[in-house]
Amino acid sequence: MAELLTVLSNPPLKVRGSLLKVEDLAVAYRVDGINVHAVEGIDFAMQAGATLGLVGESGCGKTTLARALMGVLPTNARITRGKVWLDGVDLAALPEAERRAKLWRDLSFVPQTAMNALDPVYRLRDQMREVLCKRGGLWRSAADARAAELFSAVGLDPSRLMDYPHQFSGGMRQRAAIAMALALKPRLIIADEPVTALDVIVQRQVLDTIRGLSTDLGLSAIIVTHDISVVAYLCSIVAVMYAGRIVEFGPIDKVMREPAHPYTMGLMNASPDLERAGEDLVPIEGSPPSMVEPPPGCRFAERCPFALPACGEAQPPTMDVATDHRAACIRIDEVSDLRAQAREASTWRH
Amino acid sequence: MAALIEAFGLAKHYLAARNLRQALRGERRVVRAVDGIDLLLEKGESVGLVGESGSGKTTVGRLLLKLTPLSAGQLSFEGDFLDRMDRARTQRFRQQAQLVFQNPFDALNPRFSIRRSLAEPLRNTGVDRAEHEPRIAEALRLVKLDDAKRHLEALPHQLSGGQLQRVVLARALVVKPVFLVADEPVSMLDVSVRAGILNLFRDLKERLSLTAFYISHDLTLVRYVCERTLVMYLGKVVEDGSTAEVIRRPAHPYTQALIKAVPRPDVDQPRESLPITGAIGDAANPLSGCRLRDRCPYAFAHCAEVEPPLVEIAPGHRAACHLHTKAIT
Amino acid sequence: MASSVATPLAPAAGAKRRRRKAGVLLAQLRDPYALIGASIYLSFLLVAIFADRLASYDPTEILFTEDGGLASALPPSPAHWLGTTNLGRDVFSQLVLGARPSLFVGVTAALAVAAIGTVVGLITGYLGGIVDRVLMRLADMVLGLPFLPFVIITVALLGPSLRNIVLAVALLLWPNAARVIRSQVLTLSQRPFVEAARVTGASEWRIIFVHVAPNVLPLSFLYGSIAVGWAILTQASVSFLGFGDTGVISWGTMLQDAYASQALDRGQYAWFVPPGICIVLVVLAGFFVSRGYEELLFPKLRDE
Repeated sequence: MAELLTVLSNPPLKVRGSLLKVEDLAVAYRVDGINVHAVEGIDFAMQAGATLGLVGESGCGKTTLARALMGVLPTNARITRGKVWLDGVDLAALPEAERRAKLWRDLSFVPQTAMNALDPVYRLRDQMREVLCKRGGLWRSAADARAAELFSAVGLDPSRLMDYPHQFSGGMRQRAAIAMALALKPRLIIADEPVTALDVIVQRQVLDTIRGLSTDLGLSAIIVTHDISVVAYLCSIVAVMYAGRIVEFGPIDKVMREPAHPYTMGLMNASPDLERAGEDLVPIEGSPPSMVEPPPGCRFAERCPFALPACGEAQPPTMDVATDHRAACIRIDEVSDLRAQAREASTWRH
Repeated sequence: MAALIEAFGLAKHYLAARNLRQALRGERRVVRAVDGIDLLLEKGESVGLVGESGSGKTTVGRLLLKLTPLSAGQLSFEGDFLDRMDRARTQRFRQQAQLVFQNPFDALNPRFSIRRSLAEPLRNTGVDRAEHEPRIAEALRLVKLDDAKRHLEALPHQLSGGQLQRVVLARALVVKPVFLVADEPVSMLDVSVRAGILNLFRDLKERLSLTAFYISHDLTLVRYVCERTLVMYLGKVVEDGSTAEVIRRPAHPYTQALIKAVPRPDVDQPRESLPITGAIGDAANPLSGCRLRDRCPYAFAHCAEVEPPLVEIAPGHRAACHLHTKAIT
Repeated sequence: MASSVATPLAPAAGAKRRRRKAGVLLAQLRDPYALIGASIYLSFLLVAIFADRLASYDPTEILFTEDGGLASALPPSPAHWLGTTNLGRDVFSQLVLGARPSLFVGVTAALAVAAIGTVVGLITGYLGGIVDRVLMRLADMVLGLPFLPFVIITVALLGPSLRNIVLAVALLLWPNAARVIRSQVLTLSQRPFVEAARVTGASEWRIIFVHVAPNVLPLSFLYGSIAVGWAILTQASVSFLGFGDTGVISWGTMLQDAYASQALDRGQYAWFVPPGICIVLVVLAGFFVSRGYEELLFPKLRDE
């Protein structure tokens, strides 16, 4: 099934058609009187039915972005700029109550420790009822039927609804959390590191569950993760984030086979692959810059093997590599050459 | 020549929590975390132990380091039995055998500076004060945290996960051990940071001729650093052999599932369903015969009756599965 | 291979750490409660230290007026800022010098409670077993004792000195601190860095006092702060009830004296209200400081 992808490029495309569109979004935290610019200049759009992978290392802002979209930022964080359109509706333009209602109805969030967020003293059936009856307005019997349906959809035996969370294994709890997130038929589910704490077989089961939901129910999802292999397995489009900005965006096959941004190239080299274990892994030396005072130019320049003096001067514009594939690098016209160089381990050792 | 570590019939049983009814009836629930394992570690080898949570792999690590007493079996280090070591020998063992922890964020005392955390093992193993600085500097150099001045005075919360794990490794190396156990050393780090640590392990293996034991649920780690690998399920070893063999030609269905389950950075990776279904069994109530049989698609009658023994199916490669023993007999 | 770790986030970690320590202290002071509490403590401490200079008269000296009469029950005036007692003693001098025994009792009792509670909490929490059971049962028994009556009995048996009051308070308040610290130690003992200490050869005692203890000190401090208030209140109560050391003028004895002299009936507010307020302030300060230290106990992870 070919998936339609809409990606923002200059000039911005029409809003109609995208499920979610984000324009120039920025989020800042206030910590001890200092502003930390966690996320800046976020532009993207995704269609219904797509699975977007938001990938980057710890601290790149991906969780902040996910929470900003969902409207569950911590109290010391604010969206400082930008707009978000959900289903063509500008969220900021709505009155607070309506905005909140729309978010809760159409978006669902599975936070990082979702499997530990299940209330240990209530049976799963009662927790599902709480969501379905109180927020969904269903009668109890309808709620129970839907809960059974949801459990089956995530591969859990509906009879286990009568169990308590501690009777479930980690992977099962994660799937139960996903089931709860699906309760009110959201248009889009945002999952933050859904498989990070899980063992490899259980991880695969949860990933397959999410994939199944996507293909069978047409669920749209944003998966936030630090693991590019998870994105490769699960997602149709990917946004690579670094130091608060999206550095590359595009369909998963294009981005992974033909990465256009040096950071993506570095990530591919640094990710372990069971098939190619003979080769050395090549880490990207250094660490991300401070988000309190980000450098004026390209934030990856410090660690980039292809950096030029011009890179440090101004924020690189996002440029198209192919029709729906873009990256924020000024050397984009030399991308094939850079890609070839990036495959050599020696390039990455400064 | 005797191996560095020899273990026969290692077992560790725990009394598990019971509900009220069980307690009143006097029923005992025994969790067989490790249920009869043989292990031989030669000097200089890097061996991997792979399994999911609940397989008992972490317990094996703790047994090997004398952090928990054996319930059964024999375990010797350099020919001395671990449970019969006197105080002096135990002190020396503490210098010879070290542990790298899973959680870099919690493996260091949050109130100690890095320098203090690194000096502590030296102090405890009676190393002369004058020796501390040079040894600490060398350990940091080994783990490629060269910018020592910056890091020594820092507190753990000021460092990143990757840096912390290097410090944890440095702390293990500062006493010049001969045996290192690493329990899920990279699982809490970002994938992009793992590369650096894995390369470090490879590098140290060559430089220091350490005997290393890597415990992980992730096969890619063991593939990168270990020559030999064991696979555990519910307290028993189900397969062992050279890492390359075990990964290229896995003989046990569980190993096959573990390999298929790992996602790879490849868009074209196969997405077929796993041969193993369901969740890990109950270690307090393992099934009769083969413990995996309720999850295994190839299970047949014999699997329920007799527990498959670990037999050699190819030179240096053993598996505990009736599919193979049948073929032999 | 070049160093693979550049850390723009942790430049000159030594200086950073000093700044961080100062930052932590300043953070406490930014909290209004801690600030108020600390100011109150500081003020009283200064008063106690400079009491000699502040007091115009000897607090026990019976004073006479110019015309030879007893300077009894005089209202506040420039000569006697808070007036005099029925026996002609200067109330203000008593108040100021009365700060000393009160603070002495407060601080020493706090230290004792914190010390005993912490040591017991550390040992029982870490070692468990029979030591834990015996000490915790002992704590349970102590918690069952009625506070003030027990203090009175102790003082009656051992003599009405300040030292004995401190002793009695310490003996009764340590279980509260011990129990909470024990819980904290139980959690800490499970953490990997404790196991790491064991793996690197630290003896059990070293682990308890060098590795675990620094992590429970904030709680010790908390319980110490609370104990200050209790101790002062106890000393005042005991003195008020007449079991205190009558030779030492303290806020409690002032209250007792005022009560016995029926100061309330006579409207001599300047006599008994100030010592009462002082007691309230110091006890309150203890609670404010401990409230401010919540920040220290439950720090939010900060990205530097």
